[in-house]
Amino acid sequence: MKAAGLRPAAAAAPALGVALALVPLIAPHNITVLNLGFFTFLYVAQGLAWNILGGFAGYISFGYAAFFGLGAYTTALLWLHGWTPVLTFPLAGLCAAAFSLVVGVPTLRLIGPYFSIATIGVGEAMRILMLNLDKVTGGASGLNLPTVVPSKGWFYLAALAIAAVAYVTAVWVRGSRFGLGLAALRMDQDAAETLGVRTALFKNVAHVISAFLVGVCGGLFAMYFQYLHPDNVFSFTESISLVLIALIGGIGTIWGPILGAAVFFAVQDYLQTSYPAFHLLVYGVLLIVILLFEPRGLAGLAARLAGRRRVPAPVAVTPAAPGTVAPPPAQGGAL
Amino acid sequence: MFTAQNLISICITSILTAGLYAVMSYGLAIIYGVMKVINLSNAGFLMLGAFMTLVYSQAWHLDPIAGAFLNMPLFFLAGWAVYVLLVRRVRQALPIASLLMLFGLWLVLQNVALSVWGSEDQSIITRYTYKALSFFDYRLAVTRLVVFAVALVVMALLHVLLNHTYVGKALRATVQDPQAALLAGIDTERISALAFGIGTAFAGFAGGLMTLLFSFTPDFGAPFQLKSFTIIVLGGLENLAGVTIGAAILAFAESFAVLFMRASLQNVVAYALLVVALIVMPGGVTSVFGRRS
Repeated sequence: MKAAGLRPAAAAAPALGVALALVPLIAPHNITVLNLGFFTFLYVAQGLAWNILGGFAGYISFGYAAFFGLGAYTTALLWLHGWTPVLTFPLAGLCAAAFSLVVGVPTLRLIGPYFSIATIGVGEAMRILMLNLDKVTGGASGLNLPTVVPSKGWFYLAALAIAAVAYVTAVWVRGSRFGLGLAALRMDQDAAETLGVRTALFKNVAHVISAFLVGVCGGLFAMYFQYLHPDNVFSFTESISLVLIALIGGIGTIWGPILGAAVFFAVQDYLQTSYPAFHLLVYGVLLIVILLFEPRGLAGLAARLAGRRRVPAPVAVTPAAPGTVAPPPAQGGAL
Repeated sequence: MFTAQNLISICITSILTAGLYAVMSYGLAIIYGVMKVINLSNAGFLMLGAFMTLVYSQAWHLDPIAGAFLNMPLFFLAGWAVYVLLVRRVRQALPIASLLMLFGLWLVLQNVALSVWGSEDQSIITRYTYKALSFFDYRLAVTRLVVFAVALVVMALLHVLLNHTYVGKALRATVQDPQAALLAGIDTERISALAFGIGTAFAGFAGGLMTLLFSFTPDFGAPFQLKSFTIIVLGGLENLAGVTIGAAILAFAESFAVLFMRASLQNVVAYALLVVALIVMPGGVTSVFGRRS
C-alpha cells in the first residue's frame, strides 16, 4: 500500500497545492469559498500533525485542544502587547510544544487506551483552568482582539501554507529513520526497544512536533477569529475533531487527514444551516462504520475502489488487518 | 472554615456523593472487568438515562426513582444489542479499536439527544426536591438521602447477584481469568454480552437517579464519564469491590478540595487524580494487560 500509494500522491500534492493557491486570485471576493478553504486547511494541518503521534506512533490523543488553545492565547496575548501577530506564530508553536513535553513525559509511558483516557483528563483540566484564570485569559467573558487584519484571501493562503508545512513534515517523518522507529514502536514497543529504538524519546519527539504545528494553527485561528473563549479553543469538540478527521480519512496515512478534513468541513458546511449539531452525528456513524468495515478509513476505501488492493472486506475486522488503528494485539508489547 | 461542624458536614456530603459515584461507576467496572473494554459510550447512556426519566416524568408523572428502575431492563437490552452488533466485532482487534468505536457511539447518542431534546438545561422537580431533613445541627437535602439509599439497595442487589447466583459467579470468574473460565465450561461470549447489558443498565439507572440532583443537557455525561474512570482506576480496575473505595476517595477529595480552591475548579480534582493515578499506578494497569496474553 505504501509503495503503490506514495508516488502518484507525491506528485499530486504540489499540483493540488498550487491549484488551491490560485483560488484567491480567481475569486478574491467569494467569502464563502475562502472561509471554507481557510478552515479546511487549518484542520488539514492539524489532522496531519495529530496523525504523527496518533497514526504513525499509534498513540490516540483526545487532548489536542490544549495545544490549539495555548497557541491561540499565546498569539492573542502577545498581540495585545503590541507584537505583530504573524511573528508570534513560532512562539505559539513553542508554547504548545513545551506544554506537550510536560504532558507527554509522564503520560506517554501509559499503554494506548490509558494514554487516550489520560489525555481527555488533561484536555478538560486545561479548559477549566483557563476558564478560571480570568486575569490572563479573560475567563468566561473571553478575550477581544484588535480588528485590524488582512483580507480573507490572505488567511486562506496562510492556512494553506501551514497545511503545506504540515504535509511536508508528515511526509518527511514517515520516510525517515525516526518515522520507521515510530512505526516499529506502534507495532510492538518491546521489540522496538530491543532493536535499539529509543521509544520514550521517539514518542515525545512525535508529540512535540505535532503539538508545535497545532499551536501555530491556534495562533492563526486567534488572528482570524479576533475573539477567544476558553470553551471555544480548549473545547473537547476541538480535540475530537482532529481524532475524527484522521480516523475517518485514514489513520496513519498521509492522505487520510487531508481527505478527512475536506469531508469534515463539507459535511459541516452542508448540515450547519439546517442541523447545527448533525455533522458530529454523521461523523460518529461514519466512525463506527469505518471501524467495522474499513479501519484504514476513506484513504483505504479509495485505494480499494481504485483496485490497488484486492482485499475482501472481512479482513478489516480480523486481528491481522494491516495498518489498523494501533499496534497488533501482541499484548506483551504494551508499555 | 475548619470548624468541627463544617468538617462533619463535609464528611456527610462526601459519603452521600460516594454512593451516587459508586452506582454510576459499577457499569464501567463490570464491562472493563469482563472484556477489558473501556466503555466510552457509558457517558451517552448516562445522559440517555436522565432524558428517558424526563420522558416518563412528563408522560406519566412517574417519579424519577421509579424511572431509574424502569430504565434498567430497557438499557440492559440496549447494552446487549450494542455488544452483539458492535463491540463483539472489534474485540479481536486492538483495545483502542473498541475504545474508538464506543466513542463513536457516544457521539451518536449525544447528537441524537441534541436533535430530539435540544441543548437547553432540563430538570425534573418532584414534591420532595426542595425539602430538607434536620439531624441535630445538620440539614440534609431529601433528594441526596433518597439517592444514597436507593444506590445502597441496588448495590446490595448487585452484590447478591455477583456472589450468590450462577451467572454472577461465572461473571466474576471471567473477570479473574477468561481462559480458565472458558475451560471450566463458562460461555464467556454470553457472559460478555450479559456484562455489557448489566453495565449499560447501571448507566441508565444512575442517569435516572441523577435527575433528582442535577439539571442535564445532552453534554451532561462527559464529566461523569471521567469521574467514573478515575474511580475505577483508583479502585484497581479489575477489582469490583474497589469501585466503592474509589468512589469514596474521589468524593472526599472533591469535597475537601472546595475548602482550598474555587468551587468551579472542582472537576479538575477528578481529572488530576485520574492522570496521577494512571501514572503512579502503572503496575496495576500493566499487570492487567500482562495477564491477558
